[in-house]
Amino acid sequence: MDITSLFTQFLSGLTYGTILFLVAAGLSLIFGVMNILNFAHAALWLMGAYFSYTFWNLMQEHSFAFWLSIPLAGFAAAAVGWFLEVVLIKRIYKRELHEQLLITYSVALILSDTIKLTWGVTNKLIVRPEMIRKPVFIFGAPLDSYFIFVIIAGAAVAIGLWWFLKYTRYGHIVKAAVYSREMVAALGIPIPRIYTWVFTLGIFLAGFAGGIQAPIGSITLGMDNAIIIQAFCVVVIGGFGSLLGTLVGSLIVGEVMSFTILFWPEGAMVLIFVITAAILIVRPWGLFGTPMRT
Amino acid sequence: MKKLAGLTVFLCVFTMLLVPVTVKAAEPYNLGVALGLTGAGALYSADGVEGIKLAVEEINAKGGFLGQHKVELFIRDSQTKPDVGVREVKDLILRDKIKAVINDYSSAVAMAVKPIAQEYKVLHIASISNSENITKINPSPYTFQVVPNSYMQGKASAVAVAKIANQKGWKEYITIASDYEWGRSTQDEVVKVLKALAPNLTLKKEFWPRLGEAQFTSYITGIMAMKPDFVFGILASNDNVAWMEQAKTYGFFDKIPYPGSLITVTELQLQAKTLPRNMIALTRAPFFAHMDIPMMADFVKNYRAKYNKYPSDWAVLCYDAVYTLKQGVEKAKSIDTEKVKDAMKGMTVDLTRGKLTFRTIDNQLSCSSYVGTITDDPRYPFPIYKDIVEVKGSESERPESEILEARKAK
Repeated sequence: MDITSLFTQFLSGLTYGTILFLVAAGLSLIFGVMNILNFAHAALWLMGAYFSYTFWNLMQEHSFAFWLSIPLAGFAAAAVGWFLEVVLIKRIYKRELHEQLLITYSVALILSDTIKLTWGVTNKLIVRPEMIRKPVFIFGAPLDSYFIFVIIAGAAVAIGLWWFLKYTRYGHIVKAAVYSREMVAALGIPIPRIYTWVFTLGIFLAGFAGGIQAPIGSITLGMDNAIIIQAFCVVVIGGFGSLLGTLVGSLIVGEVMSFTILFWPEGAMVLIFVITAAILIVRPWGLFGTPMRT
Repeated sequence: MKKLAGLTVFLCVFTMLLVPVTVKAAEPYNLGVALGLTGAGALYSADGVEGIKLAVEEINAKGGFLGQHKVELFIRDSQTKPDVGVREVKDLILRDKIKAVINDYSSAVAMAVKPIAQEYKVLHIASISNSENITKINPSPYTFQVVPNSYMQGKASAVAVAKIANQKGWKEYITIASDYEWGRSTQDEVVKVLKALAPNLTLKKEFWPRLGEAQFTSYITGIMAMKPDFVFGILASNDNVAWMEQAKTYGFFDKIPYPGSLITVTELQLQAKTLPRNMIALTRAPFFAHMDIPMMADFVKNYRAKYNKYPSDWAVLCYDAVYTLKQGVEKAKSIDTEKVKDAMKGMTVDLTRGKLTFRTIDNQLSCSSYVGTITDDPRYPFPIYKDIVEVKGSESERPESEILEARKAK
């Protein structure tokens, strides 16, 4: 196996990790701040992919349709997320974790049926612009040219979230809420409103990630079933609520998957679950998470 | 007095004639459909339901089975999951009193449903799912398969690929197959046939992406890194679409020959703009291969009129499933399931794909597989197959002796 082949596989893992990061970032943010384990996250990711298809379909005679449909998918999913938070999620903050899981799982099923009723059962395909239909070669390693955009988008989301959490007032409040929501509330900051916006932001990220996923293959019902498990693996490895942890966890899962497929194809998913289980036993709060929580 | 008696008799007879005669309507034929309308099989199953609905409409327009038993459809979603499929079929049997069920997209679901159909003595017609184990192992007299099974498809494809491999001097190949019953059994057969027909070939690596895989990037780059002479793909439905779309963006098909892939009319239509041309591929029931048969020509015409599109393989197969049942009822001259089941054993049927016969040993329809080169055709808004090689059922079926041996080993 030559170095170019290994580099190709590294790039493949990097793109897969980036896709996982985009999905898991919102999941981690919502759990870290609100303590809500949102099982419906991937269903909203899938809804984002379908929204993206609809926007692209409506504007496809325009050259910008392909690119504009991706952020629009994020905003449309965010609107659904905001509605869900206000109507349902708000009422389950103080429930036990298993109850939250059951309720958000029910939401996932309802959303799946809503998708089926709205978009039908046939696959949806977004036709890419000519410029991103061919591979590009980086040091001789082929890469789907669209994945350059995916990697840039992933990096932009990571930097944007980091900047938001580190340099903005709202970011400081969100970070503080991860450690002690009672203290934040005692300072007169309206926690319910913060929660609503954090949830909406998390779902925006899910919808945006769905929009990015849409042109990679076809958009199909049930796509969300597998990715939610892998997204959970990412946040368990990285640590719930840790942006850096989510990024590192995504890259670990992506690269492990990619290289295991090359050398031990049967064991790709097994290895991910072994790593996840090991982290849960040795360091339950993940590589970059924190065991503190009040 | 005599006049009065005569008048009384006349009035009695007249009154009797005036009493409305109530004719008891013939018993309807309740037909269940349990297909994977959601999940990995949604794409193919939706077309199958359309084919079934059209066949039922046509048959009911002529009075139903035997001209008097209207066919009533009960459609359920198996979600492409064996437990859900079993639950839905049981419910169809107990609640809706179905006499037959068309099921499923997934071979795993069809195999889970087979013993249920046998237990409740309901006819079970596999029209999309095609693992040969549905009829090979633990055969049920109630289960019939109208689609070329995995062995037949694998052999048909492998025969064509072996010829090309021998011509081109290929030495090494890789398989990529969906990790479930159909993928496993088909891959197994393909490898065996290639070994027999092209002994110089070596299987370099096997890849088994799970059913429902959406991210094939690592598989694509991994395979490209190994530089095989060709890759044999055994992926279906949504997985196949995702694989094709992603592999194409890596220039995979320009670098590595990929013959033998299952590219059905669904993919030909859905990926009309993007599907690589001149690829050698395989399918199960392409309508364009049989437009010379009046039943197929009529079906395509009516299907287009009703749904404003061309029928996929799945629409053809499910349409044929209903007509198989109709001809079974006609042969039995009854809708009694036991009689129909006996009549269908070894029956020859007239279908859109021609005159075909069920094998007595396994109730498998001796139908063809189709290998061809993907090419544009001005008659259709999507590419079709050219230079079609129709591999007949008799050329691709597993020998009966092997079936008996497999059953004995079981």
